Amino acid sequence: MKTIKAAAAVILAAVTAFFACGCSGSSEENGSTLTVMGKKSDMEKSYMSAVFEMYEKETGNKLKIIEFEDSEFEVKASEKFKQGDLPDIFMHFNNADLNRFNVSENFYYLNGESWVGDLTDSAAAYCEDGSGNLLGLPFWESSVSGCYYNKTLLDSLGLKPAATQAEFDVLCGTLAEIGYTPICWPADGCTWMFQFGLDPIFADDPQLLEKLNRNEITYAEIPEVADMISWISEAAKKGWFGQKYSETGWDDISTVMSSGGAVMTFIWDTWFYTDFAGGSYTVDDFALMPVFMGTADEGTYEGGNLNMMMANKNSENLEEALEFLEFCASPENYERAFSGISTVSCFKGQTTNIQSDMVTEAQASISAKERVSTAATRIIGYSAEDVAEAFNSLLRGGTDVSGCVKLMDEKRIEEAKEQGIEGFAE
Amino acid sequence: MKKWVKNLLLGACLFLVAAAAALIGIIYLNFISKRIYEDSTTHLGEIYGQVDRSLMSFSERNWGLLNSWNDYITLAGPEVDIGKYIDSKKEYWGFSHYYFIAKDGSYMTPHGTTGKMELDNEYDRLYTDNLPVLSSQDLSEEEQEMIVFIMPEKHSEYNGFEYDAVAISYTNADLAASLNVDAFSGKARCFVIHSDGSVLLSTQNGGSVFANYLTYLRAASDLDDGTLQKMQSDWESKTSGTVQCKIGGVTHCILYQPVGYQDFVLLSAVPQSLISAGFLSVQKTTSIVLLTIFLLVGITVTVLLSLRSYKMSRKNRTELMYRERMFDVLSNSVDDIFIMIDAENHDVDYISPNTERLLGIPVQEVREDIRVLEKCAVNFNIVIPKDVLAAIPLNGSKYWECEYMHQITGERRWYRMTVYHMSIQNVRKYISVMSDRTLEQQMNQKLQEALNAAQSANEAKSNFLSNMSHDIRTPMNAIVGFSVLLEKDADRPDKVREYTRKITASSQHLLSLINDVLDMSKIESGKTSLNVDRFSLPQLLEEISIIIMPQAKAKNQDFKIHVQGAPPEQLLGDKLRLNQILINLLSNAVKYTQDGGKIDFVVTELPQAAPQYAKLRFSVKDNGIGMSEDFVKQVFDPFSREINSVTNKIQGTGLGMAITKNLVDLMGGIIDVKSKVGEGSTFTVELSFALPEPEEAEEWFRQKITRLLVADDEEEICLDIKELMSGTGVNVSFVTEGAAAVKAAVEAHERGEDFHVILLDWKMPGMDGVETARRIREEIGASVPILVLTSYDWSDIENEARSAGINAFMPKPFFASTFWQVIKPLFFEQNVQPAAGAEDEHVMDGLHFLVAEDNELNAEILTEMLEMEGASCELAVNGEKALEMFERSEVGQYDMILMDVQMPIMNGYEATRRIRSCSHPEAKTIPIAAMTANTFAEDVQNALDSGMDGHLAKPINMAAVRELVGKLVGRKDGKKQEDTNK
Repeated sequence: MKTIKAAAAVILAAVTAFFACGCSGSSEENGSTLTVMGKKSDMEKSYMSAVFEMYEKETGNKLKIIEFEDSEFEVKASEKFKQGDLPDIFMHFNNADLNRFNVSENFYYLNGESWVGDLTDSAAAYCEDGSGNLLGLPFWESSVSGCYYNKTLLDSLGLKPAATQAEFDVLCGTLAEIGYTPICWPADGCTWMFQFGLDPIFADDPQLLEKLNRNEITYAEIPEVADMISWISEAAKKGWFGQKYSETGWDDISTVMSSGGAVMTFIWDTWFYTDFAGGSYTVDDFALMPVFMGTADEGTYEGGNLNMMMANKNSENLEEALEFLEFCASPENYERAFSGISTVSCFKGQTTNIQSDMVTEAQASISAKERVSTAATRIIGYSAEDVAEAFNSLLRGGTDVSGCVKLMDEKRIEEAKEQGIEGFAE
Repeated sequence: MKKWVKNLLLGACLFLVAAAAALIGIIYLNFISKRIYEDSTTHLGEIYGQVDRSLMSFSERNWGLLNSWNDYITLAGPEVDIGKYIDSKKEYWGFSHYYFIAKDGSYMTPHGTTGKMELDNEYDRLYTDNLPVLSSQDLSEEEQEMIVFIMPEKHSEYNGFEYDAVAISYTNADLAASLNVDAFSGKARCFVIHSDGSVLLSTQNGGSVFANYLTYLRAASDLDDGTLQKMQSDWESKTSGTVQCKIGGVTHCILYQPVGYQDFVLLSAVPQSLISAGFLSVQKTTSIVLLTIFLLVGITVTVLLSLRSYKMSRKNRTELMYRERMFDVLSNSVDDIFIMIDAENHDVDYISPNTERLLGIPVQEVREDIRVLEKCAVNFNIVIPKDVLAAIPLNGSKYWECEYMHQITGERRWYRMTVYHMSIQNVRKYISVMSDRTLEQQMNQKLQEALNAAQSANEAKSNFLSNMSHDIRTPMNAIVGFSVLLEKDADRPDKVREYTRKITASSQHLLSLINDVLDMSKIESGKTSLNVDRFSLPQLLEEISIIIMPQAKAKNQDFKIHVQGAPPEQLLGDKLRLNQILINLLSNAVKYTQDGGKIDFVVTELPQAAPQYAKLRFSVKDNGIGMSEDFVKQVFDPFSREINSVTNKIQGTGLGMAITKNLVDLMGGIIDVKSKVGEGSTFTVELSFALPEPEEAEEWFRQKITRLLVADDEEEICLDIKELMSGTGVNVSFVTEGAAAVKAAVEAHERGEDFHVILLDWKMPGMDGVETARRIREEIGASVPILVLTSYDWSDIENEARSAGINAFMPKPFFASTFWQVIKPLFFEQNVQPAAGAEDEHVMDGLHFLVAEDNELNAEILTEMLEMEGASCELAVNGEKALEMFERSEVGQYDMILMDVQMPIMNGYEATRRIRSCSHPEAKTIPIAAMTANTFAEDVQNALDSGMDGHLAKPINMAAVRELVGKLVGRKDGKKQEDTNK
């Protein structure tokens, strides 16, 4: 969700840039041609158009863009792959859907490329396959999801942000004690919280995700899942989500936070520039600290969901494809492409992009505690609606912690069976 | 003293005791509260004093360690791995990092990590005063703020880094754990703060989120600025203090005291409830103790009061139960019903249990709805009308009479319903007393009936006297009148005979009147008894026919006797009374039927379940003048006679039907009458008779006769005869014409199977019985006996019939026994000839009687009458004389003794018994007949019981005398012959 919303913020600028550059039509007569396959909306990003144009202009090579409508992309792209009609460059998020493209057989591991050292740790981590193999070049806008708190309000209360789960609990308890709602928790967006609790678990033990996706274990067998659900349940009971959290929706967060109705919320930085209207408090009043949900004492940030450009290792144009990636990873080029784009940096040397003060101020903490977005993207059978149903059933008293975990498991396994995933099928 | 006053005083005492106890409790608790709070505060200060000392000790230990480690480091040679050395210390002492610090605040760790600390505030103390420092530092390489213990050292160098101080750092959590402060179960917050309120460390895990506690208090507590300034002033001046405030609505106690170095202040914030926990515990315990005492006292008092109340209540309940029980028993033993009704909703609160016995309605049903009593109500619909109840004033009453019928037995009872309207404990009730007036009502009814009866009896007596006066005077007038005329015309024989005949007729009527009156009197006095003996139904009917037939014939009436079914011929019953009943009915029929009328006397056998009994219906139907509907209702009442132009001409006592009804009742039967003026009347009598043992004569009868021919134009009679003979073995053939009878007789003769007897109706259309007999004789000879069956007097045709060959006559109706009596002489006593009736008139010729009669007039009349019959007599004036004369008499001197019954000295019964027991040779055989005015059945029986042979009623009827004499003297002769033979 956050990716989509963040992307929406830059669509207009990207399209404008794309047409302004007019790169799609220019090419050199003697250059090679690379095929690039991706979603139509992804291709239309301004920084993508910019880098494509630069590449064609500066190398004389051609790029053949193969794009599909977003709703058809997964199906049509996978059909192409099945037909052996693979592009030279394939753009895809590192999520569960990538599995249908036979990653190990089709894509070139990029660990040895020269630009790898310039990737931020979180970006590099996101692009790995779980076994340390770098699958693609993250050339995408990004944001940092964490606990954004009303710094002004907290300062006025003589309090400061929490650095540990214990401090966070004391902070929430202290705020609730003196009549403040510590956390704005939208009932219809509570699934958003799912990843904060579980990303650290999968980061600490990547095997867990693989076992889960092979149906070798269940949520119920991962203690931290129950820890997370227990913490959410207790927080709700203690009033840390406020008395009317069940009536609070995703679209209400802006109003709540800008009015001081809640002190903290779990959101991403670009949200403040796309959805936050401001009021008694503006974006300058907010700062970022890790999210604590009972599973990681030090807290966590969720790294961005990054679109990767992957090279077809079986392509005749592999060398040109790697050169194209190197072209994109060049600081000069990505600085030009992302100039003025509000995003968290994927490259350590990236400076022309616009990064929020909140992220900048918390950069050290983010660097130490950011986890790759895993839970919501890579768990097979995961459904935001199913998790919402389980959470809300718990918070309305319809079930207990174990019942909530059981419900999440059932929904996940049912969905995986419907998808015919190996290990789940009857 | 009244009870309510006692209760009021008791309640007041209890209230005062409770109030005093509560006041003492409150004072005590306040005292305890104050003391405990003071103690708790002191205790809290002591606790945090220990924290202070602990922190000081911890700090001094760290500073000491830093000194010693630095000495080692500065003296250590290059071969010593300082990093490893420090790591070992870190592992042992639990700090996070070790720092070499330059005067500008820059630092380097033993492993070469560099950074910078903000030491502006601590610089002078550290480097000028050369004192150790405790500081919180937000170090860039750390994820959280660190607590740093810094020790100034001599200027030295480590790996090229010049430093003037060394330090170690802890996380807040590590430090809190090291201090091990866990006061109030960790629920109290304890901080080490600077005098400006900024927090150095918190003893609570996670408590380091507090940046500045003064700011926090300003924002979160209810402390005003003055208090806050005073507090900060205390901190700056290193003064201890205590402040109470509310944080988040919860009262907290803020204690602060200087740590003793730098500007640090040890501050603790504890919820008042935790401090007061001890007090609350004591308060709770005290409260529990006090409450327990109160409760125990209360329970004891309550139990005692309850016991007292229970005893009183039980006593009351027992008394109430006794009273209810007694009332139930009382009401059960009387016939009055008691009901209590709620005045508001008319629910039944109480109803006496005798209701079911008296009205046949279960009590529970009445309890549920009093309207069920309406089922019992007679002649009214609403038992207790609400409007009537509503009209009864409080403490007033109202009563009315009502009649109820028992729902099971149908018995009727009368009640006086009295309803009282009263208030019982402020609840209005209606109490209804249904006082039984049944006996009174019945008594009144009986009195009324008795009065009516007395009036009726008086009226009847008047009527009787009036009737008797008239009925007696009428014949007496004739007797007296004609006696005068007789004397006057004594010399005119024709007049004498005429007057004598009329005097006789009047005397007979007067006699019958007297007989009826006496009979009625006897019956009504209950002195009449039945003389049950075997009798023959056919004989009875024959005798009735003999009596009634002439009367009917005299009025040219068609009198017929019919027998329907096959009634038994021999019955056990009082033939005399039955005869009297039937004669009465038939005589009336003849009397009240016009000349040429029709009278049917029908005897019908009715179905009877018991085989040893027979039930017969006797009906007398005429087409006479009939009776009015009103008279039919009183036809059986004494002296009742319908008055009209016809009846006025008919003599009667008005007692006949009353006697008949009483006799029928006496015999256990029923009598009914249907009549219509101008159309006639039908009297029906139904009686049951016991059946006697059958006579053996029937057996040989069946052996002699097996074929019978009957000829009667009425086929019904033929069928009756066939049915009557069905049990005898006789095969009955019948025809309905004389000619057919002739033909049948001839055919049977030709077959050699002559009928054993031929029975012919006298009056048949075409060929009558006599002619038919003649023709049969002509055809088959005289071998077959021929009898004529007739309901008429056959004396007129007897000679003609016998000449025609008829052997005998037989009266209708046909009875097998009569039939046998008629034919028996024809088969077995061919020589026996019927006695000539003419000889009876001379039966008394030459007889000599001994007459016992105390009344000279009667003796004279009898003597004259006997002489008129050719007999003579000797008179005895009483029984004794008669006995003497008989004992002295010669054998054969007297042919018969006529004995009056009521005589002086010795009555007739006694004299008879003496005669029978005397030694005279004829004592046992001499016929003795009672001659008395005692004419009732028991009189007859008494006479027979005393040894007499017959009974003659006064006034003497010579015909009866002749009949009896003829019978008794002949028997005497037989007896005398038997005695001679012996």
